[in-house]
Formats: sequence, structure tokens, C-alpha cells
Amino acid sequence: MTFRDFVSISTGNLWRMKLRAFLTVSGVIIAIAAFVAMLSFGAGMQRNVSEQYEKLDLFNTMQVYPPRDAQPTDTMPPAILDARAVAAISDLPGVKLAYPFDDFDLTANISDTELSISAQALSVEAMNTKAYSHFAAGSAFESDCAKEAIVTEQFLHLLNIGKADSLIGDTLIISVSVASIDSGIVHIIPKMDSTLKERIKEIHFDSLIHAAYTKRIVRRELGNAMMRFLDGFLNAKAVLRDTLIIRGVMEGGQGGMMRIKPVIIPTATAERFSYGGMSDNPADLFAALQSGNLLGTGDEAGGRFYPKVTVNLDPNITYTSVRDSIKAMGFRTFSYAEQFAEMQKFFIYFDMGLGVIGLIALITASLGIVNTMVMSIIERRREIGILKSLGADERDIRLLFLAESGLIGFIGAVFGIIFGWVITRAASLVIKVIMEKQDIPEMDLFALPPWLILTALLFGLLVSLAAGFYPASRAARVDPVEALRTE
Amino acid sequence: MYQDWFKTIDLCRHYQRGQHVVRAVDRVDLAIDKGDFLAIVGSSGSGKSTMLNLLAGLDTPTSGKIEFEDTLLQSLSRRELAAYRAHKVGMVFQSFNLMPHLTALENVERALYFNHTPRRKRRQMAAEILEKLGLHDRVDHHPADLSGGEQQRVSIARALVKNPEVLFADEPTGNLDQGNSIQIADLLTDLNRKGLTVVMVTHDLELAGRYAARIVRMHYGQIIDNSLGETEPGATK
Repeated sequence: MTFRDFVSISTGNLWRMKLRAFLTVSGVIIAIAAFVAMLSFGAGMQRNVSEQYEKLDLFNTMQVYPPRDAQPTDTMPPAILDARAVAAISDLPGVKLAYPFDDFDLTANISDTELSISAQALSVEAMNTKAYSHFAAGSAFESDCAKEAIVTEQFLHLLNIGKADSLIGDTLIISVSVASIDSGIVHIIPKMDSTLKERIKEIHFDSLIHAAYTKRIVRRELGNAMMRFLDGFLNAKAVLRDTLIIRGVMEGGQGGMMRIKPVIIPTATAERFSYGGMSDNPADLFAALQSGNLLGTGDEAGGRFYPKVTVNLDPNITYTSVRDSIKAMGFRTFSYAEQFAEMQKFFIYFDMGLGVIGLIALITASLGIVNTMVMSIIERRREIGILKSLGADERDIRLLFLAESGLIGFIGAVFGIIFGWVITRAASLVIKVIMEKQDIPEMDLFALPPWLILTALLFGLLVSLAAGFYPASRAARVDPVEALRTE
Repeated sequence: MYQDWFKTIDLCRHYQRGQHVVRAVDRVDLAIDKGDFLAIVGSSGSGKSTMLNLLAGLDTPTSGKIEFEDTLLQSLSRRELAAYRAHKVGMVFQSFNLMPHLTALENVERALYFNHTPRRKRRQMAAEILEKLGLHDRVDHHPADLSGGEQQRVSIARALVKNPEVLFADEPTGNLDQGNSIQIADLLTDLNRKGLTVVMVTHDLELAGRYAARIVRMHYGQIIDNSLGETEPGATK
């Protein structure tokens, strides 16, 4: 018998018991649909992440962070992520570009709206990387000193503006409160009319001969002076203002992979905002004091510490060599490629988990196949006997029944894949509506790649064949004499 | 030409039924010549159908030998035995054993699935044999739409379509009225006259006597008589 004979006989036999075959196939369809829908979700997530990585060129991007709890050693000073470090990283072989993440808070005025938001300074060179080149409207800065700003779609959302185009060319007034050393120094000296007199009164001059007492007095006075400096530094801030033209609206926003701030300003334009004042974070202040940079006595190349430096890598060079070089400089690194590899591992386990659930459904459906086939043998004993009397051997009978169960699996798999696809489309439609309501960027959470179609088809077929194996062997063993005696 | 073309030597087929041994066929020696028309007669339980199943390769003997064209059937693998049934043997049953979901043509055609007949020739061959047996207007009928005689003729067509060397007929007229029985018996005689070896099992001694060239009587699994019938093998009645 040829393959075509087996298929045609099996099709005829299934057609003969339409209702039973339909119910059995339905079980397989539902199981395969569940299998496809679940794995489709996993595949969709994987595709979305992968596309996002490709879109932003994250496979060739690395983030560099200052070390945690940096402690100077005898041989090495603590690694500081400053302009000098950025330059050193830029010079590493395999590094195409290194640029700092230079962010600051500002107040933005546009039309009649005032917003307190975060901004970041970015060079034109950095703007030209894939990570920052996706515009909903407009384009990048013309130069690093242009009086221009780029805003993100998140900024539009804050302003309740729907159309990105409408902001291009608008004026954005930004103002930044900066802490200054001057205001701190002014506050070191207390008011003469009360505090100094009271303090002098408190000093027991006859006790000054005791070193411990003197130390305590000096410590107390220095401590008070430091407190007054900090008070002045933190509270008496200067306000810097600038007027910028909105040149472009960038896709996405802070929630994205690159955590882009809502307003982006060219580096030279932003310098007076980001670098004109000290950070008002006391931790930065103490770090500056420790490194001798607070009053400009530190290294001239330093001055401002960056929380993060983004490194664009040459795709032809393995990121590990760059990573190791940066780590050797004392910094921490974060590689998106490594993150993606980790995510892929997660996706494998995730897919496996979903696959196992689908497989359980499929195994349950396969019990239906076993039941149908066993019933079929009981009913078709005589037919088996006739076929054997006509010259069918055990292999023919086994293959005939396997072909029937395989056909159930194949039909179930084909329609299951279609049904699974319909389920994902329906779910996608519902999710899309929900996402639109919540202003989440449109994204298809499901994908039906060819490998998933093939896997589902193969699984459906293999599980059905496995389910048909026992009934087929039983059918093959039917004694023709006994079978033909059956009335 | 083979000497002792088809023969059994000391053939036994015993069944174990509980504590009892049923000797369905017991130490049977039988020789069948090519072109013979042999009738095996006997009452129910005499072992005649078991004998037929053994000769047709559907059943395996407990002991003894079955030789066909110098080939010992017991020495054949199950696959070879199936090939023997597919190529050399045609079988006709009392209850026709047609597949009810298939048409007459499809039933006949199914016999050709197992003897390597090319797909495109099967339908043609099946149609031709049905036409020869006068069933050209019944090819698309299902067994339920045919009379008993027509069903048996379809059954004979199915046995003949693969051009077997021997036709085994197990009570071929058992379910037929007298008119149809005569027609079927005439058909078998006609086939035998054309050179086909026919081994027919029947309990109808009169039918056997009228049509078979040789009659073998069985009783409790043993041959009690092996005599010539009224008809010479291959002779016109």
C-alpha cells in the first residue's frame, strides 16, 4: 500500500464516523489552539523585545556606572565617572562613542503651562545614534550650542497634546534652581547681633587650658559652621533661565529602554544648567568634598560626576573586551547584549512552561484519540479480518490505524493553529483597545512565527501518532479467523 | 508442473478451551491438484472451516505441514504469509464479508491494495471483473443495495480480481436461496473449468456431489472419506 492509499482509506474511515471524528478532532483543535496561543504570547514578547533592541541598537550599547562604595586603595584612587573618564572610555578600542547621561531637574514653561520635569543634556553626536534617532516629528539639534530642545512623547502626554507636529517650533522657557557655593559660604558666618555673643558667653575661658574642652568647642563651632553652609547651599539657590525652540518630538519616553528624559537640550546649551551649579544632592556634595572638587581645587578635567555613561560599541568587536577594559578602570558596566542573553534564557523557560501547559492539554486530547481508535478497533474487527484475508499484513493494519490517528492529529493541528491564531487576534484586539485607553503605545503582544506553526504541527502529529500507537498495535494483532467469525 | 501441488501432511489444529483440547483438525493428510474442484463437507464443528483457514494461510497449524508449490507455509513469516494470501489465494465467505461502507467496485478494488497493483489499474481491473460476473450495472451500489446473490458475486469478483491460483469458498451458498445458490455454484464450476482450483466448504452434500470433482468428508477434525464427485475436474456439467 502506498502512502496515498493509507491517507485515502483513513480519510474515508474518519468520514464514516463523522461525529466521533469531529469530537476527537475538536479536542485536538482546542489543545493545539491553546498551545499556539500561549506560545504565540511568548514569541510575541520575544519579538517585541528583540525589535526594541534592534531599533535602539542596544546590542551594541553598554552603560557604565560609577563603582558602588568606591574606596581608594594604596595604589589606585577611587574611580570617578567624570569627563576625563568619559574621554578614557571613548579611547578604548571598539568604542565608537561614549557620552554621559547628564540630567537635571528644571521648570519648563510652554504656552501657559508650567511643568516641573527632568531634562538631560545630549550632544549632536549622541543624538545621531539609533537610540535617539526615532522622531515622531521634527528632527535632531543642529549643533551642541543651538538654543533648541527636543521633547519626548511623554512630554506631550504631560501637556495633553495629541499631535506631535503641533509643538515643533514652539518656544520652551526653561528655568533651573541651582545651589551655589557662594550662598553656602555667606551662611557660614552667623548673625552678629545674637548668635556670636551667645556662643562667646557659653565658652568657659578658664577651661580652655584643657585640650579636650578646646577640641570640643572647636568641633562644635566647625560643625555649626558646616550646618549653616549646607543650609545656605541647599536653600539659597540661584535661578537660571533660557528660551529654547522645540525642534523635534522623540518617540517614547522615560519608560523606554534608554530612560530618556522628557526634555533633551544640546550639551553646550545645557552646560550652565547642569554644570553651573552644584548638585543639591548632599551625597554628591560630600563626594565632591572627598575628591577635592567642591571648590575647584580638584583635577581640572573633572568637575561633574555622571551617574551613567552610555557607550556605543563597534559591532565588529566583541563587547566583552570593552567591558573588561572598563571594569579594569574601576567602573561597573551593564551590557544590553548580556541582558538580552539573560532574557532569552528566561524566554526559553517561559516558552517551555507555556509549552508544557499546552502539551498537557494535548495529552488530554490524545486520550480522546486513544478512546476513539480503541472503539474503532472493536467496531471494525471484522473489517480488519477481511483486510487480512485479502492479504494485508500486520504492518499494513498498524499503519492504517496510525494513519487515522495521524490524520486526526494533522487536521486538529491545522485547524488548531488557525483557531489559535484567531484567539491571539481577538486577544490582541482587546488588548489594543485597553492599551489605547491607557495611552500605552500600540504593540502586538502575539506573534506566530513559522517555527511555532511547524512546532504545533509536529506536536499535534507526534502526540496523535503516539496516541494511535497502542490501538494500532492492537488492531494489527487481531486474529483474522476470530474476526471473520464475528457476526 | 508441481507434484502434489497443494498438500497437507499430518495436519493438526488443536485449541485449548479451558481444560479441554478441541481437535478442530486432527492428523489430516490431503492432496489437492492444480485445477481441482474439491468440496470439503461435514456437519457443523467437523473442522471443515478450520481446514480452509489453514489452507488459506489465515490460521496456523498446531503441528503437521502445509505445502503449496513446494513451499512450506509454516516456514513463511507473517509478512510472507500475508503476501501468499494477497497473491495466490482468493477467499469467499458464507456471509460475503463485504465492507458495507464501500461500493461494489471499491470492495473489489480493495483486494488489489495488497498485491502491488498500480493505483491507476485497480479501478479498471475491478470494473472489468464485475462486468464479467454480470454486475456492470451494480458497480456503484453498496452491499446493502444488492441481493444476496449479487453480494456473493461481488465477493467472488473480489477474490478473483487478483487472479489467484486457488479459490477458497467457505459455505458460499449458505446464505442464499436455491436459485442464487445454483447461480453461484455454476459460477464456481465455470471458473474451475477455466483452470482455477476451487476448494469449497459446504454442509450441503447434494451441492457438493453435483458440482465438485472430489469430495472430502470430515468428522471431528478428521477425513473420513475422500471420494470423487459426480463431476470431473474442469468438465462441463
